[in-house]
Amino acid sequence: MQNLNNHTRTGLLLKIGRQWALLFLFIELIFFSFMARGFLSLNVFQIIFFFGTAVFLLGTAELFAIITGGIDLSVGYVMGLATIVSAKLIVAFTKTGMGPGLSITLGILLTLVIGLLPGYVNGMLISKLNVPPFIATFSMLGISHGVSELLIAEKAAKNLPQLANTIGNGYFLYYSKGIGFSFFSRPEVARRVKVVEILPNVVVIAFILIAVFAFILNRTKFGQHTYAIGGNRDAAIRSGINLNRHIIKVYMLASFLATIAGVLYTLKYVTGKADAGASSLLDSIAAVVIGGASLYGGKGTVWRTILGGLIIAVLETGLRIMGIPTFDKYIIVGIILITAVLVDQFFPERTYKE
Amino acid sequence: MKKALMILMVLLVIFSMSANLFANGQQDKGKDEITMLFMPGVADPFYYMMEKGVRAKAEELGVNVIVAEYPKSWGPEVQVPILEATVAQGGVDMILIAPTAIDALVAPLKKLYDKGIEIITVDTFLGDGDYSKDSDYSFPLSYIGSDNEKGGREIAEHLAEMIGKKGKVYVNSTNPDVSSVMGRVKGFKEGIKEFPDIKLVGVDYNMDVQQKATDQTLAALQKDPDIAGIFATNVYSSQGAYQAVVNAGLIGAVKLATWDATVDMINALKKGQVDLVLAQKPYEIGYLAVEWGYKYLHDGAEVPKKVIPGFEYFTPENVNDPDMDQYIYK
Repeated sequence: MQNLNNHTRTGLLLKIGRQWALLFLFIELIFFSFMARGFLSLNVFQIIFFFGTAVFLLGTAELFAIITGGIDLSVGYVMGLATIVSAKLIVAFTKTGMGPGLSITLGILLTLVIGLLPGYVNGMLISKLNVPPFIATFSMLGISHGVSELLIAEKAAKNLPQLANTIGNGYFLYYSKGIGFSFFSRPEVARRVKVVEILPNVVVIAFILIAVFAFILNRTKFGQHTYAIGGNRDAAIRSGINLNRHIIKVYMLASFLATIAGVLYTLKYVTGKADAGASSLLDSIAAVVIGGASLYGGKGTVWRTILGGLIIAVLETGLRIMGIPTFDKYIIVGIILITAVLVDQFFPERTYKE
Repeated sequence: MKKALMILMVLLVIFSMSANLFANGQQDKGKDEITMLFMPGVADPFYYMMEKGVRAKAEELGVNVIVAEYPKSWGPEVQVPILEATVAQGGVDMILIAPTAIDALVAPLKKLYDKGIEIITVDTFLGDGDYSKDSDYSFPLSYIGSDNEKGGREIAEHLAEMIGKKGKVYVNSTNPDVSSVMGRVKGFKEGIKEFPDIKLVGVDYNMDVQQKATDQTLAALQKDPDIAGIFATNVYSSQGAYQAVVNAGLIGAVKLATWDATVDMINALKKGQVDLVLAQKPYEIGYLAVEWGYKYLHDGAEVPKKVIPGFEYFTPENVNDPDMDQYIYK
């Protein structure tokens, strides 16, 4: 970890201060293992990741915007738009007589291309036209929402081929005694025969992408420039970074990730829904902040954002198993957020760029 | 940092696998003890009422009941995570669920069914709701809920009478992919066809947002100021459409037939702001679901694929009748 000033507060306190989020996650896990019946199981951990994918992906999208010193409020509704566009396209392709596999592939690919558009507009507004990111992306939130509603005003986005459902709710690996391991398809066994399901498909897809984007942020020039812009804009310009172009790319990337989240939603729930990502937006911003990124820009990492997302997801699932209304979640997340910012101020000199 | 996270994940997986083994040993419970999970569709008075029915019958029969968290909004992305987390605590023999979509809930429920949990759908159903013929979605034991198409047809007849069998009518509904309200709209359309002088000018979907129902109804009244009757298909539609009629100052001029007997709607009826309220029987639905579930699990009885409690109609004439009081959702 490259750190400019790690001799000011050294020793154990510093280490704990830096890793407080990880520590907090551990405490959560231990707490729920004792308090929530059945919490400590492979099944529950997969549930946490399965339902956390939207927040993980939107959080990663948000992180890129936040590192540049901006914010992207539109990711939630861009995700919603993507669920509708992909569902409608897949249904349309199926109607032309295409096979389900081909329709799904084509529908998704086309959606991913269309999904770059909101990000491009956001980036243009923010960089070339100097619209504050909050306003630009807030407007895009409204536009995406409106377009989504228009698209389903006449006809709902549904009746997808069964295959979509199978992929979205399927697992990468299955294990059943006697049959052994099988990939992608659930072994044909009698009811009540125990089949261990390992790694939901959507989690595998999401984490491959998240790893790719973590690599981009951490190890490439693109990533370095992203940090540079957020850290010191003038210096970044002087060092020859094409600011406008970079900002546009960052917002396109955010909207691409939101589109991925939307496509995965479509596979999971075989429906397109305008507000599919609405509730995940605030969680994703919270995940980024808990992960130690600064809203002033310049710092934050993908893995810490995932950690932030996990803290929220574990909390939510644990409370649900205990039967505690998740209204309490809002309070706890609020407290964690304040803690995150205070801890950051107490250990100010860290940079998370490894 | 990344390394620490990786180690954490690996530890978790190992930890959880070993925990799994222990968990299997622990789940021996009394053989006669039956646990049912009630999974409502959304936090509204209709499902609160149903929960009362579930609890009453369960207490009578000595059945354990777990009530899952009430989803704060309508939709599979809210309901399914709650369902899966709640079932994960183990020991659930049967799920009584109001699926929030006809298709999105098929795979998650099938997964639980394959693990040995029985499913009864209440109020809403999967697919076309016909579990008697073999299909991807025919695994639930039964659908227990209203015959929504019949209700829609009956409302059409009542509304036609109220407006003198001629003029324009408008429908405000909630979702185009939820079996219950789809059925009501379908039934209403069929019913209204019997009256050649009545024209249906439009159907709007408010996606369970009351404010949107108000806006949509106002817009419809603007477009066709001579609308004579409105049918609102559930709590949100009813309260939203009613608000629009009030705002437009058309109380009395527009006849309003609504579905679901919430306290607000009954009060509106008492004040003469609404003309007809259909009451489903959520209490009875919950009660019957536990009763049939128990008969199946405990006695091995055959469960009918459809169990349909009827409706009650609140009108200005009977709304103060003490016998009707039990059908108000509170």
